[in-house]
Amino acid sequence: MVNENLVKDVVKEPYKYGFVTDIETEKIEKGLNEDIIKLISQKKEEPRFLLDFRLKAFKKWQKMKEPDWAALGYKKIDYQDIIYYSAPKQKEKISSLDEVDPKLLETFDKLGIPLTEQKKLTNVAVDAVFDSVSIATTFREELAEHGVIFCSISEAVKNHADLIEKYLGTVVPTSDNYFAALNSAVFSDGSFVYIPKGVTCPMDLSSYFRINSGDSGQFERTLIIAEESSSVSYLEGCTAPMFDTNTLHAAVVELIALDDASIKYSTVQNWYAGDEEGVGGIFNFVTKRGKCLGKRSKISWSQVETGSAITWKYPSCLLLGEESVGEFYSVALTNNLQQADTGTKMIHIGPKTKSTIVSKGISAGNSKNSYRGLVKMGTKATGSRNYSQCDSMLIGDQASANTFPYIKSQQPNSEIEHEASTCRISEDQLFYLQSRGIEFEEAVSMMVSGFCRDVFNQLPMEFAAEADKLLALKLEGSVG
Amino acid sequence: MEIIEKIKTNKSIDNQTEIQKICLDKLQSSPLPNPRSEQWRLSNKSKLSNFLDYSVNENNSKFDIPYPKNSQSTIRLIIGENCQIKLIEKNYSIRQLSEDELQKYIKEQISCFNQNENWSDLLNLSLSCKNNILGLKINGSKIPPIEIFSYASSNSLNAKTLIIFLEKNCNVELLQVNLGKENSSLSQSTFFCLEENSSLNHGVVSYGVNKSNLLNSLNVIQQKNSEYNLGSLHFKFNYARFEIRIKQSEGNAKTNIKGMQITKKDEQISTYTKIYFDGPNGFLDQINKSLADDKSHAIFEGSIIVPKIAQKTDASQLSRNLLLSNRAQIDTKPQLEIIADDVKCKHGATISQLNEEELFYMRTRGITLTEASKLQLSSYFQEIISFIPVSKDRWNLLDKLLNEN
Repeated sequence: MVNENLVKDVVKEPYKYGFVTDIETEKIEKGLNEDIIKLISQKKEEPRFLLDFRLKAFKKWQKMKEPDWAALGYKKIDYQDIIYYSAPKQKEKISSLDEVDPKLLETFDKLGIPLTEQKKLTNVAVDAVFDSVSIATTFREELAEHGVIFCSISEAVKNHADLIEKYLGTVVPTSDNYFAALNSAVFSDGSFVYIPKGVTCPMDLSSYFRINSGDSGQFERTLIIAEESSSVSYLEGCTAPMFDTNTLHAAVVELIALDDASIKYSTVQNWYAGDEEGVGGIFNFVTKRGKCLGKRSKISWSQVETGSAITWKYPSCLLLGEESVGEFYSVALTNNLQQADTGTKMIHIGPKTKSTIVSKGISAGNSKNSYRGLVKMGTKATGSRNYSQCDSMLIGDQASANTFPYIKSQQPNSEIEHEASTCRISEDQLFYLQSRGIEFEEAVSMMVSGFCRDVFNQLPMEFAAEADKLLALKLEGSVG
Repeated sequence: MEIIEKIKTNKSIDNQTEIQKICLDKLQSSPLPNPRSEQWRLSNKSKLSNFLDYSVNENNSKFDIPYPKNSQSTIRLIIGENCQIKLIEKNYSIRQLSEDELQKYIKEQISCFNQNENWSDLLNLSLSCKNNILGLKINGSKIPPIEIFSYASSNSLNAKTLIIFLEKNCNVELLQVNLGKENSSLSQSTFFCLEENSSLNHGVVSYGVNKSNLLNSLNVIQQKNSEYNLGSLHFKFNYARFEIRIKQSEGNAKTNIKGMQITKKDEQISTYTKIYFDGPNGFLDQINKSLADDKSHAIFEGSIIVPKIAQKTDASQLSRNLLLSNRAQIDTKPQLEIIADDVKCKHGATISQLNEEELFYMRTRGITLTEASKLQLSSYFQEIISFIPVSKDRWNLLDKLLNEN
């Protein structure tokens, strides 16, 4: 007989990234208006077109209403009570890693992200974003040899303004949705990746986002462009300290894949989720979208969502190019009072496009976990196919799991398949494992891990290990 | 939309009954459903306004039932024509609900109505006059099959209401037929209450002709150990909306639903279902099929709600759709909302066209393309039609569908 309380104990896990780095930061005053936007733009020494982009987005944002259709309940966000720009103070411009404040380096070391290249064992280039600005990007030179541009978006604005002007906002227009408009108006930093024609990026690229101050929001923007026949694998991780206030995170990620290009974007999201009573935690409102512009291009999203008090996130693919492929693999774990409304959108526009959706939701405690996805076959999407699978696992009788698939077809010569199921930790399986001498906790963890296997298999090596560990940590109760 | 104006000024009906008053009051502030709400966002606005364009007709024109009875025993009722009924036989009794019983039940229902979700019922109850409400209480066993007809007259909007109480241990086979005339709107609301151990095999066949509209709403409350089986078919409506709301009030009940909708030309037919399990050990097996051709639009939205109390629920929902034309469209959204952890719930959806390999196989065997498609369609239809409690020979539903598709 499963002891309900035992299962509940198992899913409790303290948040270990909740420390605050004591570092001098430069912040601007709270509030949002045109002057603030001009100030952000000025601080970042941006060209005129970007300021116009921001102001245009701000005007649109003012006319928009905060969406309320998601199955989420949270207290109203006061957008004037947020600091829109916060950066660690730097006396001089950084030219090499040695000049980075050692406290910052220490912070990232604590998070398990070594920025000093000598120490690096794995072959991953990292861009670290602390509050509003990018701190350091490693392995630049090696990447430059291959023609790969990997830098913070502020640098890209200065050095590759033509690319930014050409692509920024083409996948997620400024008026796309409330949070995307807000981000377009105030985004501070983020990563920029450009893979030239025919290049397979020699190493995985990674960016690490860290919110440090409690009253500033984080609004990063990522833009990845993969030229013809190129390919790249990009990893993203995020953590935040524990505060009893809610911090807003509204990011925008835009991916563009041209002919035969492929982009793999993996996320392990572990923002602070708030405490057991639901106090504090990050409000995570993210717009992620990829455009398969070229023929036979491919965009693959994989995500492990374990943090945030509120998650509102739908990584999507616009499949325009003939025979382009979109994939979405997701594991979302919610516990205590966390709420997640996440899923994907696969918009089939071009002919013979294919998409696969595999979503696994685990809800424990009093949490709410919803899958919301759209699959749409446009009139020209002849011979296109979609397969979706959404499984939910419920732990305890207080958690809720919802599935809201929106399916629309306007093309008879296409096929859509969707299936969803719910299950629980089966007593029979637990009993079997325990009778073989496996501890209760380990058995639960094994079953959860098995439930998520389809998704973990899609993650890059480094992340798969991290994700497994993360879920095990969240579920095992003992910090390993 | 003449009616809406009348509702706003509360002048639509003379001699209002109490129920009509309550419903009109509820509608007065916002007489139309919110077009942005989940239940109405896909609904064609101009078709809905066309539905409301006709003036309300309370008198019923002479109606000839288009199909002969197959046996003398079938009980046949036409809402609006012969609502006075009292049958007391050896094994069973069918009697009319008293005014008080009717009012009490409807008021109870209205108290938990939601403006968007139950708008069709609110409209129906605010327009449906005393003569057009049929309320029955059925009791006993070996009850002969019942057929209930509802129809709209040309160039008018008719509202008809059916309320049936099935008392304990009673088994009924009931076919409900909704017929549309040319340029007409029919608002049909049905309320069933299935008491303990009762079972109902319910068939709904709705078909119209040119430019007929239908708002068909079905509300079922199932007490424990009851069984409700529904087979439904909707076709040939310019605009039709079939709303099914089933509540297993104490769990431990069984529900089987097999429905189909066929759209052609520029028709729009939608099915909305909401199954609520308010107790443990509930069972649901649902399949909904759509077929969309020409420029038409078929919609299915189904939700299954399993609150904490509904442990050991076993629910499955499947939406299967055939899209036969480049200009037609299909929307489907089967959804699950689950809080209880010890449940088995699943849903699935597919949208495709006729299987080409099967067609090819049949053609290599000398079967023409038309015949091969017909064969495929007939197997697609058969699953649903065989579930409708109606004598196949008499209604020729399958032939009717095949010859028209």
